[in-house]
Amino acid sequence: MVLVLALGDLHIPHRAADLPAKFKSMLVPGKIQHVICTGNLCIKEVHDYLKTLCPDLHITRGEYDEETRYPETKTLTIGQFKLGLCHGHQVIPWGDLDSLAMLQRQLDVDILVTGHTHQFTAYKHEAGVVINPGSATGAYSSITYDVNPSFVLMDIDALRVVVYVYELIDGEVKVDKIDFKKTTTQNAN
Amino acid sequence: MSIEIKLSRSNRIYRPNELVEGKIVTKLSSSISHQGIRLNVNASVNLQVRGGSVGVIESLYGVIKPITILNKTVEVLKSGRISSGTTEIPFSFTLKDQGEEPLERFYETYHGGDISIQYLASVNISRGYLHKPLSATLEFIIQSEKENLPEKPLSPEMVIFYMTQDTQRHSLLPELKSGGFRVSGKVCTLCSLSDPIEGELTVESSAVPVQSIDIHLLRVESILVGEKIATETSLIQTTQIADGDVCRGMTLPIYIILPRLLTCPSIFAGPFSIEFKVTIVITFQSEQSKLHQKSNFKTPKSWHAMESVPLELIRTK
Amino acid sequence: MELKFRNRYYKAEEDVHSLPRVAAETHPLSVQSTSCGDQVDVTDYGGDKFFDPLRGSYGKPEDSMKDFGSTATEITSEPYKDVAIQFPGKEWTSYKKVLMQKFPVSKMISVSSLSSSIMKTCKGPEKSSANVHLEELDDPQRFAEEGVKYITLQEYVSHLTELKDEISRAWHANDRVTSLNLSIKVAKLLSDTSVLQLYPTLFVIATEILDMLGDMVWERITQKAQYTEDGTLAHLPDNFQATEICAEAKETCYNWFSKVGSIRELLPHIYLELAIYHCWRFLLEQPADNLPRLVMMARGIADPLASFYCRLYLAHCAQKIPQRNIGHLIISMNDMKTLLMNGELVASEEKTSGVLSGTRSSKLGLMEPAIEYVMKCLFKESRELQIGDILMGLGLGRNQSELFGNSSCVSLVLHHLLRELPIGIVCSNALDILHLIECSNDYSFDQCLNYKLLGLRLCENISHVKEVNLVMKKVIQVVSRLNSLDEYLNVVDTHIDIVLPKHMNSFLDSILDGIFERTSDEEIGENELSSLQSILLKLLNHFDNLENILQLNHFNQILSVMQGSSRTIINMRILSIATRSSCIRDPTTIQFLFEVSRSLHDNIDLSTIKDKENNHSAHLISRFIHMVDYGSEVEHHLAFLVQCRGAFGSMSEVKETIVHSSNLLVVKATRNDISDVNFVKSCIACSEVTIPSIPSHLKQLNLSLETAEVALMAGLVSHSDGLVDSALRCLHNVDLLEGSRMPKDVDGFQSTLCKFCSLIVMIPGNIELGVTSIPRNMFSILSSLSWMLPSMKAKVLCALILTVSALSQNNLLYHAIHDEVMGNDSLFFCDQQYLQELLSFSAVILQSLIDAVLQEPIQAARGNLALDACNAIASSFEVCQGASDICSKLVETAKLSLSSNNKYLQSTIRFLNSRGLMQGESCKKAGD
Repeated sequence: MVLVLALGDLHIPHRAADLPAKFKSMLVPGKIQHVICTGNLCIKEVHDYLKTLCPDLHITRGEYDEETRYPETKTLTIGQFKLGLCHGHQVIPWGDLDSLAMLQRQLDVDILVTGHTHQFTAYKHEAGVVINPGSATGAYSSITYDVNPSFVLMDIDALRVVVYVYELIDGEVKVDKIDFKKTTTQNAN
Repeated sequence: MSIEIKLSRSNRIYRPNELVEGKIVTKLSSSISHQGIRLNVNASVNLQVRGGSVGVIESLYGVIKPITILNKTVEVLKSGRISSGTTEIPFSFTLKDQGEEPLERFYETYHGGDISIQYLASVNISRGYLHKPLSATLEFIIQSEKENLPEKPLSPEMVIFYMTQDTQRHSLLPELKSGGFRVSGKVCTLCSLSDPIEGELTVESSAVPVQSIDIHLLRVESILVGEKIATETSLIQTTQIADGDVCRGMTLPIYIILPRLLTCPSIFAGPFSIEFKVTIVITFQSEQSKLHQKSNFKTPKSWHAMESVPLELIRTK
Repeated sequence: MELKFRNRYYKAEEDVHSLPRVAAETHPLSVQSTSCGDQVDVTDYGGDKFFDPLRGSYGKPEDSMKDFGSTATEITSEPYKDVAIQFPGKEWTSYKKVLMQKFPVSKMISVSSLSSSIMKTCKGPEKSSANVHLEELDDPQRFAEEGVKYITLQEYVSHLTELKDEISRAWHANDRVTSLNLSIKVAKLLSDTSVLQLYPTLFVIATEILDMLGDMVWERITQKAQYTEDGTLAHLPDNFQATEICAEAKETCYNWFSKVGSIRELLPHIYLELAIYHCWRFLLEQPADNLPRLVMMARGIADPLASFYCRLYLAHCAQKIPQRNIGHLIISMNDMKTLLMNGELVASEEKTSGVLSGTRSSKLGLMEPAIEYVMKCLFKESRELQIGDILMGLGLGRNQSELFGNSSCVSLVLHHLLRELPIGIVCSNALDILHLIECSNDYSFDQCLNYKLLGLRLCENISHVKEVNLVMKKVIQVVSRLNSLDEYLNVVDTHIDIVLPKHMNSFLDSILDGIFERTSDEEIGENELSSLQSILLKLLNHFDNLENILQLNHFNQILSVMQGSSRTIINMRILSIATRSSCIRDPTTIQFLFEVSRSLHDNIDLSTIKDKENNHSAHLISRFIHMVDYGSEVEHHLAFLVQCRGAFGSMSEVKETIVHSSNLLVVKATRNDISDVNFVKSCIACSEVTIPSIPSHLKQLNLSLETAEVALMAGLVSHSDGLVDSALRCLHNVDLLEGSRMPKDVDGFQSTLCKFCSLIVMIPGNIELGVTSIPRNMFSILSSLSWMLPSMKAKVLCALILTVSALSQNNLLYHAIHDEVMGNDSLFFCDQQYLQELLSFSAVILQSLIDAVLQEPIQAARGNLALDACNAIASSFEVCQGASDICSKLVETAKLSLSSNNKYLQSTIRFLNSRGLMQGESCKKAGD
């Protein structure tokens, strides 16, 4: 069992001062094995903070990131899964499933994690799974200011993934889960 | 081709009642024949008188016949051959022969100015008329027999001295005379040869800055020449105890280790005597002192202050 | 080519593909789950740590020690490995390094004739070893030649190194007399104090050589001592007694002391005896008995500098014997004290020699290491119980219970005593020590620094300070008499560390009053500034909260007299404390921090290259601006931002912050509906005027787009149009300004352009300018940019295809959130002309896209671009012959460039098949 924290679009300090306190108290060092962050952190202190949660930290670049050395896309393999990471402001139109699927083909990954829309979504299509953890701070997005803070924790165990969605709604953390399996015969159809 | 005498003690110090042991070492390129090897042991007091100090010039000038303490020959090897390569021929002898009255006292070895007391062992291997003889000489050192020596005194005999502008018998610089100075201290007058000369000195006051304070160790050698006694005082060693204008009222130690061979127990023999003394010389800073550096213990200059103390040296247990 | 846009039913697609989401009863981060209850504390800690700029700033003091002068290392390297070093020499080695470091020597030095004559004859004399009496050393010409020679330090050191080698060579050639004679020459150099600054270096090098001689003598006697009286070999134990030593070894040893004793001159005599001092162990049961005599002999050296260093060497050599004895150290210390008290001696001597007036203190500074070292030895050797003896020995204590009963001490000696005293003694006698310092005020050391030191020592163990209130009361009394700000600050700087943790608020008040009174009429110099900096930092770190700090007496006034880098450091600290909280609401606090920021900004020297510090300042100011929160008083907030823009105009990061903040204000105002449209327009105007002054084009572009986004959210279409225009202009400007040079961050530009395309989807088309005017503009700029690479162009063209296709939908994927902003789907619902316009534009893009793909020179890249284009086309257009043809052509291009195993190629072909855009045969080929 491997825990992967996926989050992004914090926009600290431009659009939010900090992570919600309730999230911060849940995120403790030592539990999480990998952190993947879609980008727009935006300052170095956030990077440092994420590093304290888990030293294995993967970040792609959002358009407002102070650090310009983050890559546009990144792939990593965790257990049986190949994960792809991209901020998502480059996807046209933003959050479009077809365009995301295109990106997924390009990166050749089982799970694609992107952000930018600040809305949690999880889709499954013929090429795999696409997850958007939303904005961890509830920052306003390109489209809306109506945003609930959210992040995602993926529990990867062999071919099975349980995605936990943490969403702050009216001051309370609501946790949902999504369960899916990797179909090994995917390539055949 | 070489010959060498080696003694059993590396410091070559023996006492008169001790057996002197050693070996003759030859290093030869080819074997030689010889008519016996003998070791000659010679000890004497050598005296010389230099003019000047006693006033009588010619008659006193020159070397006086040495006083023989000992002169003996020891056969080491009967005539025969010495093979080539290194050969060690052991020998031993005593200075005092049993039951035989010695010619003189066995004075301790001393290398002085006019007087020297030396013990020499020499070997000479003659190789017939055609060859140069092989020879070697070695000095060994004699110290008094332990048995007859006095115990070390518990506390050294000290003499207290004061030096002021008024204790000086020579003329002083006017500023010294007017400004005045006072130096006090003490120094031992009876000292075992194995101990340092100890004492202390304090510059209590001095209007003129001090340049240096030195302790001279002097020997006073007297030789009887006819009716007269020729006495010569000479310097053995100088030890500085203050370099520059030292702080007033601070006690400076006097500590002088007596140099080997250059000192011996004070002797008052008939034909000669060897005595010692300590002179404290203070040099004051002045324009003139810069020109004449070397402090002469015999004729003090006007920028000097001096104090002499006789020193008796003894050999103790 | 009868292309038709593919219809999308976003909502339905989403419903089909969304993964079902159910409430989770337990999850990995719940407190109940797994073994993590014990780690909750850690969270807070980690959280707090996160914004602490002080983190990691505690430097390791050891590191700085490592950098000590390389000359020192070279000289101290010990080439005589065969000589056993029996003594723990590390401490001494490092002390010597510090000494040389402390008194660096200029490159050129003047050398008196004495020294130079010694240096000249550094080659060993050819005289036979029979000449034991060293008469050649009694050089009558000592003062005869006046005159000075100049040589370089390097030459001087290399002469000495040669001498050292010569001594070692002679020794190993059994010519020990030469070794000794040369060592005496080396020791004689120490009589020459004419070049003050050189002396410590000379001392270190010379004693190095003397120590080497001492070790060689020791080794030689040890070899002899390994034989017992009857000549059998026996191991000599480390703790041997003189009685166990055979006569021959003793004889050799005695000879060495005789030889050394016959040296006429005092200074070399002492040094040489000290060099072999530890050999007394072969002769005496209690070798330490000789130490008082040696200490007293050093009194004979009238030159204070030479005599102090002689005592330093003595203290070092005394440690080579196992017996420990503090008697000689006390004599040594008292002698030095006496010499210092005869200060007139030192002073007058220098007056006559006509040296500059600054020399006295520099000479004292040179002499100080001896006091320091002897004092160190004194307390190192002693046990707690002996402290009373030491203090009585030094004339301070009356008896064991009245440790500081007597009234005064030479202040320099007192200083080093204070440094070495065990902390327990300091804490329990603080009042007496204060009194002692009060009474000890002389030229040798600044009294204030002793008060300062006492404070420093007391801080080591504040909880054990006896009668701490009385002590502080006394200190306050003492400082109140000090008129000079510098002195006042010096003393207060350390004692404030007691006042703060003990919460002695009235003392703190009077200290701050005192500082304020003295700052008002005095010139503030460098020393004062650095003390003020230290004090204010202590206050800031102690209170760690801006409200409390602002309540302190005169804090603001004291801060305002500071300037330069100290002011900057304090400003930065204040800002970092202030910005640690989540937001700043209090208007006076905001005003205060604004002033602090302004001072920080104004102090920045733009000409210097201290970019890092400047960046940090800009960062802190930005953080502060972000933190400011006027709540619902958004007008005030905007006014504040405008004020900031005026004040911090030279900081690009701050300007970005202002744009972000004013945009956030728009969002806030719109969302909460708390103001009128004019306010929002002002905010956007603020962003609009700020953006063009930011140097980076990419940042300008991104900020323009952000502002356009918020303008749309606020329903201000005309503003967003204007901002889109300026974004396009900015893109154009990159070319104008940078020429054909590639902008720094090509990837960033590419993805921002893609983002721009996505933004276009929700911008209402302008009928007057043409519904596709924005994408067309972008297209034409794209074509005109000279630095544009084919790959980047292809990517952006793919993006434009996708954009046009998205715009053609009957229901757009997203709309501007503001009710009054209509999407193109509503504006042009079923408008054939609109669709036709999009289609004709897409034809232009397509052609250009295919050209761009083919222009890509790198094969693999070309293949991938072809696939990108293929994917974009396949998802944008309906199945038809035209689309099929284009896709097939692109797949062929890709196949030529990529291996058939390429995953992207395979997945694209699968995708084309599923869309029905490709016939079976080519699929099979690639699908193998």
